[in-house]
Amino acid sequence: MSKILRINTKEKSYDIQDAQGDLASLGGRALTSRIVLNEVPATCHPLSKHNKLIVAPGLLSGTAAANSGRLSVGAKSPLTGGIKESNAGGLVSQKLGRLGIKAIVLEDKPENNAFSLVVIKKDSVEILPADEYVGLGNAETMKRLWEVYGKRVGVMSIGPAGEQRLTAACINLADTNGRPGRAAGRGGLGAVMGSKRIKAIVVDDGGTDKVPLADPEAFKAANRRWVEILNSHPVTGQALPTYGTAVLINIINEAGALPTKNFRFGRFEHAQDISGEHVTELIEKRGGKTKEGCHPGCVINCSNVYHDKDGKYLTSGFEYETIWALGADTTIKEIDDVAMLDRLCDDIGLDTIETGVTLGVAMEGGLIPWGDGKAAIDLVKKVATGEPIGKIIGNGAVFTGQALGVDRIPIVKRQALPAYDPRSVKGVGVTYSTSPMGADHTSGYAVAPNILKVGGDVDPLKKEGNVELSKNLQIATAAIDSAGLCLFVAFAVLDTEDGVQTIVDMLNAQYGLSLTPDDVIKLGISILKDEHEFNSRAGFTKVHDRLPDFFKEPLPPHNTTWDFTEEELQPAKHFD
Amino acid sequence: MATILFNAFSFLQKKLKSQLRPYANVRIEVADGATVRDLVAGMGLEPGDIEAVFINGCVEPIDSLLHHGDRVAIVPPGTPGPYRVLLGMLGKPKTLK
Repeated sequence: MSKILRINTKEKSYDIQDAQGDLASLGGRALTSRIVLNEVPATCHPLSKHNKLIVAPGLLSGTAAANSGRLSVGAKSPLTGGIKESNAGGLVSQKLGRLGIKAIVLEDKPENNAFSLVVIKKDSVEILPADEYVGLGNAETMKRLWEVYGKRVGVMSIGPAGEQRLTAACINLADTNGRPGRAAGRGGLGAVMGSKRIKAIVVDDGGTDKVPLADPEAFKAANRRWVEILNSHPVTGQALPTYGTAVLINIINEAGALPTKNFRFGRFEHAQDISGEHVTELIEKRGGKTKEGCHPGCVINCSNVYHDKDGKYLTSGFEYETIWALGADTTIKEIDDVAMLDRLCDDIGLDTIETGVTLGVAMEGGLIPWGDGKAAIDLVKKVATGEPIGKIIGNGAVFTGQALGVDRIPIVKRQALPAYDPRSVKGVGVTYSTSPMGADHTSGYAVAPNILKVGGDVDPLKKEGNVELSKNLQIATAAIDSAGLCLFVAFAVLDTEDGVQTIVDMLNAQYGLSLTPDDVIKLGISILKDEHEFNSRAGFTKVHDRLPDFFKEPLPPHNTTWDFTEEELQPAKHFD
Repeated sequence: MATILFNAFSFLQKKLKSQLRPYANVRIEVADGATVRDLVAGMGLEPGDIEAVFINGCVEPIDSLLHHGDRVAIVPPGTPGPYRVLLGMLGKPKTLK
């Protein structure tokens, strides 16, 4: 896997070259962030011709390594104004890996509004008119593309939100059923793809050989051990396949950290109604699937397919952050309304976290009543039609708050906070504050034992130890994002003595390297340095690490406040 | 006697349900001086079934004393994400073992 495919969206031309210099050894987030740092002027407008959209499989993607099919998408974010890497499952990452493509780079920008479709095959790259797909939702777009190019091709597309270049727009990826259940959700990258007038990218790896391995036997042995580690751990082998990520609803609610009613309370009285346990019960009763991988080769299967009360498909990839944002944060307690909102977001191409928080802000501003699922559904539908109120909602929480005169807008670096109140889980608050991505829970998701020097005795309600913990989580996460591995592998790795070594063994066997676990940590640090450097050039300083002032209000039930100063947070960004 | 509010999550819900035991927002009377270990002793759970115990929203040892009005929840192994670390579930002996 060594080629970089550059597509000039203005000229409708392309160029494929071997990756040169420092890019040759990078993958996933490490590669997208390095290209953004090196090639995108940090001060450019994110929707201008100077921005680039980079799509990169992880280093292990395309091989048989379990859970290695995650895709990184990077650019300067139109939502935050800083660097962005958004990560997703789907079919594209592994197919790019098998085609030997390290990255697709969308460059420049057309001067008219005509959208194109990019079709990548083993021996060809085509940039075709996409007129017939313009205006369609992601579901219909993917359905038609599978009809034309064959079932199981990888598809990443934008819906009406991305076409309108709205800053809550995401890029959706076809899941294993051809539905838009996967998303590179955060940071408005769908708007960047829309600015390049690319409606969809189709990736067909038909006719390709297996990814070459430097030492096939060693790779096979390491992957066997890898699968064993994942299957035998209670998180990856039992809880996630049974309840999905929404198993967290009850737990985070119990901890008093489930942001409720636009971050007013840490508990939602109807948490049980939107919990993973309840969702699983309904799936078992109505049909659907309680477990599904977000990409082929996943052995965790934390995704799902959710049906309505009549047993008909409603949505898929119905996960914790989505259910929280569209449920507890808006106080919508009817799980079927929450599922319909998820379906609409997937089809229109909206980030579910940003949209849920935006709906909470809209309720705060009196646009629709608190907890009114039907009114929320009608409002989100307006994003697709392009009417002014839809454009306001589709531009996210800050824009909507300004439009409605709201002073309670839960964001960092203009990106909506995810599903954990930083007053009750202070470590995640440090990540929201200091991550180069803006408020982002996945930036500090992974844990590796050799860097976990704190943790066991950390008190989520106190400051002590949480800055160091967040920093270590951010480093490990960046490294895992570069390998193309799912972040959920991290907890099996944490509890397994040879977990990190097994990942390193797979990388070494694939590329003929002799990396050590320390090299993986160095990679994580180098990624964060790149990202902070870009943000610094873009004008970000420590004042952008502030949480909104209302987080100084006590949060029931613990009545804790956000009490870090900017200076106290800065060590999370220092790596020397 | 003290009255507590009890919840069980994840697999523990199915386990208690199979024994026809309530598991969500249940008010239970416990003897004075009882601990969480005493509370769960008669529930047919096995060592290793519980990874963490919440008392009033904080992770506490399983031998913590219960008080009138406490809100108690039991969580099995399998909490995803970094929350086992961030919420303090790791590091101290807090299980049935």
